[in-house]
Amino acid sequence: MMLQAENTLFTIVVIGYFILTALNFAFVILKKDALAKVAFGIQTGIFLLHTAALVLRGIGAGHWPMTNQYEFATSFAWALCLVSLVFIRKYRFPVLGAFSSPLILLMIGYAAMQSREVKELMPSLRSSWLAFHVSTAIIAYGSFGVAFVLSLIFLFRGRIKGEGFWGQHIPQPEKLDMISYRSVCLGMLFLTLTILTGAIWAEQAWGSYWSWDPKETWSLVTWIIYAIYLHLRIRRGWRGKAAAWFAVIGFICVIFTYIGVNTFLPGIHSYA
Amino acid sequence: MKKIGKFLSSMPFAITLLVLLAAACAFSSTVSQGQAYEYYAAQYGERTAGLILALHLDDAFHSWWFIGLSVFLCLNLLCCNLIRLPGLLKRVRTFAKPDGTTASNATAEAEGTGDPHRLFAALHMPSVRESENGQLYATGNRAGFWGAWVCHLGILLLILGFALGQITMKQYTVYALPGQTKGMDDSGLQVTVDDLQILRAESGAVQQYTAELTVLDPVNHTEEKGTTGVNAPANLYGYKFFQNSVGWGADVRVLKNGQELQKEGLCVGEFFAISDKPELVIYFPAFYPDYSGEPKQSDPSLPVKDPAYLYQVYYQGQILGMNILKAGEELTIDEYTVLFDNPRNYTLLAVKRDVFTWLVLLGGLVTLAGLVMAFWLQPRAACAVKEGENWHVFGRCQKGGVLFREEFLKAAAETGFTPCKSSDIEGDDA
Repeated sequence: MMLQAENTLFTIVVIGYFILTALNFAFVILKKDALAKVAFGIQTGIFLLHTAALVLRGIGAGHWPMTNQYEFATSFAWALCLVSLVFIRKYRFPVLGAFSSPLILLMIGYAAMQSREVKELMPSLRSSWLAFHVSTAIIAYGSFGVAFVLSLIFLFRGRIKGEGFWGQHIPQPEKLDMISYRSVCLGMLFLTLTILTGAIWAEQAWGSYWSWDPKETWSLVTWIIYAIYLHLRIRRGWRGKAAAWFAVIGFICVIFTYIGVNTFLPGIHSYA
Repeated sequence: MKKIGKFLSSMPFAITLLVLLAAACAFSSTVSQGQAYEYYAAQYGERTAGLILALHLDDAFHSWWFIGLSVFLCLNLLCCNLIRLPGLLKRVRTFAKPDGTTASNATAEAEGTGDPHRLFAALHMPSVRESENGQLYATGNRAGFWGAWVCHLGILLLILGFALGQITMKQYTVYALPGQTKGMDDSGLQVTVDDLQILRAESGAVQQYTAELTVLDPVNHTEEKGTTGVNAPANLYGYKFFQNSVGWGADVRVLKNGQELQKEGLCVGEFFAISDKPELVIYFPAFYPDYSGEPKQSDPSLPVKDPAYLYQVYYQGQILGMNILKAGEELTIDEYTVLFDNPRNYTLLAVKRDVFTWLVLLGGLVTLAGLVMAFWLQPRAACAVKEGENWHVFGRCQKGGVLFREEFLKAAAETGFTPCKSSDIEGDDA
């Protein structure tokens, strides 16, 4: 019953994200600010429906809904939606929605392609650390996703001459760089929490807090890439464009850690 | 010496090390670790296999070059923190002084007849002080200066704890059927698995493996009892006992001319020699709990329906034959009869003592605290100078200047001030 309702809600959410992306495209093509306001309202509505779908999934499955590829992908899209909503509102930056909604659509599309079957959790996943570890991971990934989008906008901003639609709607590079930095900071903090909670959990479950498992190793690689980004930002000449490219590389690492590692480098995280 | 210290603590050196570490980790994760030459030769060819072994890529994370990179990273962090400390202390002190924020270093400034106290409160700097010349000043989030320093310290503690743990850690693997007692190598302790319970859901899926253990210290004639389960290790004699996995085992009986010669519990993967003819060895490579089922699986979590035992017989190291024995069937070799029965799960326990785990955890928490301080506590200062009827207010933020300027000017406008100039300073976001 719960899972049926979740299934229906999930379908509505996928359609909603599709409409949101189309609306955002219309906003940047027609250059009408009213469309951005409508898009923000729709994104808030879809976010609430998406939250409800996740709650139903959790109740129906009987566990925290982040234990397989489908659940993690839909949660990842949810986190992307949440972080982008927060950043659009906090920095009054509607164009961010136009750039972030295709990424959310891609992620929810990836989720839709995964098996939605509910399986019993293996004993090692039956831990209260699961909620902490995976929740922090999705917030980290969502933040890095938004930082990725902001960095793309930053790189795109460099090509804009004069004060047209883009010049008026995209903040100055200095501010954009700072917003992207804030998003990376949020992601970095949550990624550190993810690694830390994962280590504590691994110590309880397997007796080793760090095993150089491919997932662990790639989480560390991602952490190091963003650490490089943070260091580059305080070096004259590297701030801005170079740092933005590192934020893009960092997000590629995030995607590889999430999808690539499971596909090409199986280890003790193979279920994730 | 000073030059070496400066180089070791430099940012380009840190970035180079981080890039090398990221590349080393990424590359090493693509090479299967801990395999033999034959494996790599089959996978990548003989020349590449030789290169993998020569560069220690088969155990990359314990190789001399990886440890070397980590040591250099520690030196970099240590030198960076030591060299930066005096400057940092000075910076924090200067920032708190009334003349620390002036028109020349201000991120934003405004003037008007508004109340500076309200402006400071709006900028989250409620504690306002007055200097001798009547100037009002306030600071906030000064702990933010320490963020990167604390973060570096945390990473140092973490690496130190990990390294000390790797060097001093005691680790054993014990597997035993319920009722069996096994020794723990050089620890001198003996482990008896009193019981192994498998908790299943209605669907048959395993929810938990729980083993009851008794650990015996034969020297002091003491024992400790405990229960271990997945995610719930037992702590006995200072060792942690982790329920790592389970496998199949069974009782093997050997009859000689109809009389029982020996009986013992045997786990899959184990050998046993006939007691009065040790050159005759039985090997137990696999057990199938449901041999009639398709496909044939040896999954240890499956219930026993139609048990079948795969065996191999060796004589003086040469294989004589192999076959399947089903329940009740016998294997006869000359005057010996071998029977398998009572199939059940054995438990595999990972036993560990790492007295430096706390240091790793502390390092992780300190790193986290450093990140929070560095990212969210933006050191800020503001001062107000009376100029006739007007107040001239300055604001300064060490990080995120552009966003602070917006915040300052908004707060100034809300508290009765007019922006008179805005400038930006180079921030320090690390």
